[in-house]
Amino acid sequence: MNVSIELEARDDVPAWLAYGTPVFTVVGALALAAVALVALSVNPIAAYGTMFVETLTDPFGLRQTATRTVPLVLTGLAVYLPLRAGLWNVGAEGQLYMGAVAGTWIGLNVSLPMAALIPLALLGAGVAGGIWAGIPGYLRAKWGVNEIITTLLLTFVATQIASYLVRGPMQGGMGNFPGSALLPVAAQYPTLPVLEVHAGFLVGLLAVAATAVLVARTRVGFEVTVVGSNPLAAAQAGMSTTRVYLFVFLVGGAFAGLAGFNEIAGVQERLRPEFSSGYGFTAIPIALLGRNGAVRVLLAAAFFALLFVGGSKLEVAYGVPAALTDVIQALVILCLITAEFFKRYSVALELDRGDEPASVEGEPGGAA
Amino acid sequence: MAGFAAGLLDAAVRASTVFVFAALGEIISERGGVLNLGVEGMMLVGALSGFATTVVTGNYWLGFLVGMAAGAALALIHAFLCITLKSSQVISGVMLTLLGTGLTTYFGGAWVDRSIDGFPQMTLPVVGEYLVELPVIGEAVFRSTAPDFIALALVPVVWWFLFRTNVGLEIISVGEDPETADTMGVDVFKIRYLCVLLGGAFAGAAGAHLSLSFSQLWATGMVAGRGWIAVALVIFAQWRPERALVGAYLFGLLDALQLRSQSIDLALDAGAPLAGVVNPALDFLMHPTIMATYPYLATILVLVVTVARFDDSRLGAPSALLEPYSRETD
Repeated sequence: MNVSIELEARDDVPAWLAYGTPVFTVVGALALAAVALVALSVNPIAAYGTMFVETLTDPFGLRQTATRTVPLVLTGLAVYLPLRAGLWNVGAEGQLYMGAVAGTWIGLNVSLPMAALIPLALLGAGVAGGIWAGIPGYLRAKWGVNEIITTLLLTFVATQIASYLVRGPMQGGMGNFPGSALLPVAAQYPTLPVLEVHAGFLVGLLAVAATAVLVARTRVGFEVTVVGSNPLAAAQAGMSTTRVYLFVFLVGGAFAGLAGFNEIAGVQERLRPEFSSGYGFTAIPIALLGRNGAVRVLLAAAFFALLFVGGSKLEVAYGVPAALTDVIQALVILCLITAEFFKRYSVALELDRGDEPASVEGEPGGAA
Repeated sequence: MAGFAAGLLDAAVRASTVFVFAALGEIISERGGVLNLGVEGMMLVGALSGFATTVVTGNYWLGFLVGMAAGAALALIHAFLCITLKSSQVISGVMLTLLGTGLTTYFGGAWVDRSIDGFPQMTLPVVGEYLVELPVIGEAVFRSTAPDFIALALVPVVWWFLFRTNVGLEIISVGEDPETADTMGVDVFKIRYLCVLLGGAFAGAAGAHLSLSFSQLWATGMVAGRGWIAVALVIFAQWRPERALVGAYLFGLLDALQLRSQSIDLALDAGAPLAGVVNPALDFLMHPTIMATYPYLATILVLVVTVARFDDSRLGAPSALLEPYSRETD
């Protein structure tokens, strides 16, 4: 007689589990990350108080969170859209850099009034980001080259190119320090009234709305979803996976490119090497949390923006490295996929009486 | 020129070791049917923990072992999520890279300015004394550090392990067709755990080699995409250890070229035809920052050529890669 663990696929998910998953995911991640805080002799409860309560009860903290949400939601959409089609864009960070380079270049070299210059710079940033993601998209669509590896590797290429440019051809205005000249006022976002965040916030919201409409209401959005859920059926229905793959990468990359210029025009004011705090990588957990809709991507982006802002608060207050945010991000998703297992299967310990006919079922430790 | 070639070869061999370790580990893991995209994170964790151990104890061998164990520990999470919980291998792997990057940045700050006496240069024991005299390759291959020799020795060992031992054949059968392997009495779950843990230990070794022998320092994010290059290398190698060695040398050479770009002068004479076009172009292409992109671009190029040349069936990917295995219980 053997004891074995039986997994049974659930037909439907009990309500407590469906609603409990997000709670378990966040609480579990924070509990695990508390170990890292304790390791540096920081009281986790006090630290999380600083991170979340102080940030959310302070108007400045809220504004910072809103500002940080912008690049996160845009790069989040850059991952979300390919994910709808079943593809991985893990290189939004590189697309963001290419967008920042192109947008900054336009902002510095074209003289137009603000109402024309910012849209032009955004267009340039979107095209640059779109091309940067379009390369892996094309390679995937045409030859089936693994897009995870290519998008990621092109990120390293993009950051090196940006780094070369701000030390060479685009260097300006800061002595010998790496960095471009300051953007002219006409290329910098004005601050929105009342909200007091830069106007790039609207670009983020528009992108969410556009993506939501695209996915839910348009033919191409429908094709993206079908290709993502069942490429074979899509092909039989006469849909071109090649076109869909290219489309999601071009549009996704364009969103990441917008994020790059937004960050320069709204926050940084000049292009610097390594100006992004890894937004394009945080975009991956954001898209995973929000994979059921663009509005959820926005919510996830706001949550991670809060983590970023709280993380820097923590760094100032307790000297805790801001990389704690990266740790929490990864743990959130690791907890999420753990929780999803329990949504899919019910687990029971069973005594196997060996009454099955001669078969390999019921080997000791079969389910490891 | 012979001196330059020998020097370049020496640097290339040294730079290739990290790819050899990481790619061999990834081959074992993928042969068992589990893609590990956490290599980059496991290498970082191996590099930092190995370095810290060596700073504290002064024993680089202990550091190397701790690095391997740390890589395996992170891989255990991957194994649990992908094998037991049947989660997406892609999500788990990418998140473990993020976790490894975050953890090592978080804990690594304190170790950035520390110095160690890492693995020393030595000649290969027993036969090295004579082989070092060989022209061009002698110094490059036979005067190195212990991890360089170990990596080189592991290539035939892993080949033999995968293709000539019972466990190796079980691994391959599990990666190709887990249902049949299970019917034949192979414990699919146990074999997959073994593969993922070995892969993690190899990635940890790659990282520990980087901090203890190659650079002899710890720097935040020092793996710099080498883990991802190793993942691509496995496809280039078509899941075969001996071909991974070739690929590792190729990328080692690119790494080495970049470090030595300053000493290469290809510029045309100012009066030569086309000098006005060629020289600025060379200046750009030979700029160290631009040259730093070559390993990544070369990886993509090599991937495209490999994948475009073979259709899926002849590329040699394990058939059950990415597929979680469930026993049908009814």
